[in-house]
Amino acid sequence: MSDDIVKSPYAALRFTLRHCGVRVSTPHSSGFTRLASGAFYFVVSMMTFYEFIMSKRRRFPRSFLYGLTLCILFVLLLPLMPACHGAFAADVNDIIFRGADYHYKGKLNEAIAAFQQAVRLAPDNEFAHNQLGLLYAKKERDGDAFREFSTVVQLDRRNTFALLWTGILYLKQNDMDKAFEAFQEVTSLDPNNADAYYFLGAIYNFRHHPVKAIEYLKKARDADSGEADTHYRLGRAFHRLDMINNAYLEYTRALKLKPAYTKAINEIGWIYYNQGNYQAAIDQWNNALSINPKDTDAISNLAKVYNDMAYVALSQNKTDDAIAFWKATLSVMPGNKAARYYLDSYRR
Amino acid sequence: MERRRFLSLLGKGFLVSSVAGVFPTAAFGKTALDYALEGQNYLQNGDYNKALEALLKAVEIDPQSDWAYGLLGRTYRGLNKNAEAVDAFRKAVRLNPEDVYSRMMIEIITQKPIPRLKSEPEELTPLEITARQEESAMLTSLRSDEGLGYKVNRVVIDPGHGGFDSGALGYSGLKEKDVTLDLAIMLYQRMASQGKIKPFLTRTADYYVPLSDRTAIANQFQADLFLSIHINASKNRNARGSETYYCSEKASNQEAARVASLENAVLKYDKPLTQREGYIDIEEILFRFEQKMNWKESGVFAGSFQQRFREKLPLDNRGVNAANFFVLRRAKMPSILLEIGFISNAEDEERLKGQSFRERVVESIMWGLL
Ligand SMILES: [Zn+2]
Repeated sequence: MSDDIVKSPYAALRFTLRHCGVRVSTPHSSGFTRLASGAFYFVVSMMTFYEFIMSKRRRFPRSFLYGLTLCILFVLLLPLMPACHGAFAADVNDIIFRGADYHYKGKLNEAIAAFQQAVRLAPDNEFAHNQLGLLYAKKERDGDAFREFSTVVQLDRRNTFALLWTGILYLKQNDMDKAFEAFQEVTSLDPNNADAYYFLGAIYNFRHHPVKAIEYLKKARDADSGEADTHYRLGRAFHRLDMINNAYLEYTRALKLKPAYTKAINEIGWIYYNQGNYQAAIDQWNNALSINPKDTDAISNLAKVYNDMAYVALSQNKTDDAIAFWKATLSVMPGNKAARYYLDSYRR
Repeated sequence: MERRRFLSLLGKGFLVSSVAGVFPTAAFGKTALDYALEGQNYLQNGDYNKALEALLKAVEIDPQSDWAYGLLGRTYRGLNKNAEAVDAFRKAVRLNPEDVYSRMMIEIITQKPIPRLKSEPEELTPLEITARQEESAMLTSLRSDEGLGYKVNRVVIDPGHGGFDSGALGYSGLKEKDVTLDLAIMLYQRMASQGKIKPFLTRTADYYVPLSDRTAIANQFQADLFLSIHINASKNRNARGSETYYCSEKASNQEAARVASLENAVLKYDKPLTQREGYIDIEEILFRFEQKMNWKESGVFAGSFQQRFREKLPLDNRGVNAANFFVLRRAKMPSILLEIGFISNAEDEERLKGQSFRERVVESIMWGLL
């Protein structure tokens, strides 16, 4: 594969040794071991050679012994030469590794410079183009990003990563049909691509086609069950069809992966509320607020149900209860016009 | 000690230690580190099968060794087992997020399709069993339309104003809140009896519902369309006719902006979403895409309703406008606001009072949904 920057696991080791600070300093790193054993050999050889010189110093002229010492030193140091050379003449693999390192550390400009150099040296390197595309996208240079991903797709149509990203960039341009087409092509190339299924399911959700959304989001979930967003969107699709058990199950799965997922908490609140379990619903939304005190959905949901409960209390002539509910509305949403008005009208 | 004797001892010592290095079992019980080093040596020599054997033992003894998992990833890569390689590299990165090499390898390998690793099926919980039963009962009976056209199955009907908020007032005393409620209830009954679309109301009597409650109701019922019904008013008594609004960031004209500010009453906009540099938030991309799609769809619905009004109602056609309405902006589905005539215009007001006119309004809204 032309995009493989590491041709063999051995080269992989070389990378790690030369670049990973963490690794080199650990005692069990192979670099340390090799260095220590190399030094050991070197010292033992030099001591043996010294013994030999000392024993023969009277039989050979001094200049001969000096020359011999130099020659042996040279022979011993010879194996180290390619390593020294490799350390200075940076090849494309080194540049790519450096670029990736910069990228992961958030040094985007340095990473871009490295990958730009890499694609100049190796124009067919798909990984370098993909990284560059991703970096441009992070810098909101979507046109440049699109060019890089398109280059990869032209190099190899099976590069589903690049294809997926062209789809995402189409989404950013609000071009639904082209995005859809790109994601569908990814799934035809890779029937296990959870991301592509996820985007297709999300698009069907946006078009309010819950049956299709369920079909695709289930594939996304089955390919990768570790994404909270997939469970949440699948829950929404089930919820839209009043399949409450499945909706609840998927929302709780999302929360298991991401306990602070307030969107899922808020939807569970509606499931409880629509079943008449008002207190459980209120507990859910209060929980969402304890996670994010500015969660606008939790605030407006609470305000809405407190107002509803106030109207019900009022219709049953329980004015004190109604007043308590309006106060509750104002405690979560101080600007709520209904609660303010009715509280002023009914407070004695 | 004589130097030569020292050296020979040292040599023997070295020999022992190197024997222990190659066959460490001969000396001690092997640790995870021993196995990992052994695996690394095999890996360096290209003997992947032996490397795999040693490294699997290493991670079995020490499942916290990111280093061993990194080596395991490389070994699987050497054996061309990409799914297993990615799995091992992922474990390495999970244990040590600074492992640049493993992270890079994951990204390199996953650029292209890899086979899926088999996972053990887990026992179902009672909720999972109930969910499966629900699914098999429901999904077989449901069929989805092909294509990506927007589907409307649930509509939230929102009669504007209510309670202490009368809305606009006619010169003969007609109140906007009463007309909108009557129209909304008629529309609700019409949809319910027809059975194709499930309707919901934001209010059922003469009480005030704040704007944020109205959108909460739309979200409560997972609605596909939010339909807010209003009657227009103007200081200019000659202003007349119907118009339809949908939400957009910018008002389509000054008049649209004026109507929006009139209906908004309490203006409270969300702050624009900001993007952190160096971080692509896929969920935010999807959120914005959904919002744009909803706004676009709202424009389509607005056009459809306005066309039916033009065809079926004796009202002047004032067209479709875009403006930033709070009540439309916060809804998570396409949302439109109908302004059916001017209560401030004597002729329009007279029409709005009549039952047969109201029935024609409901009729044209039903047509607009098709
Ligand atoms: Zn109004």
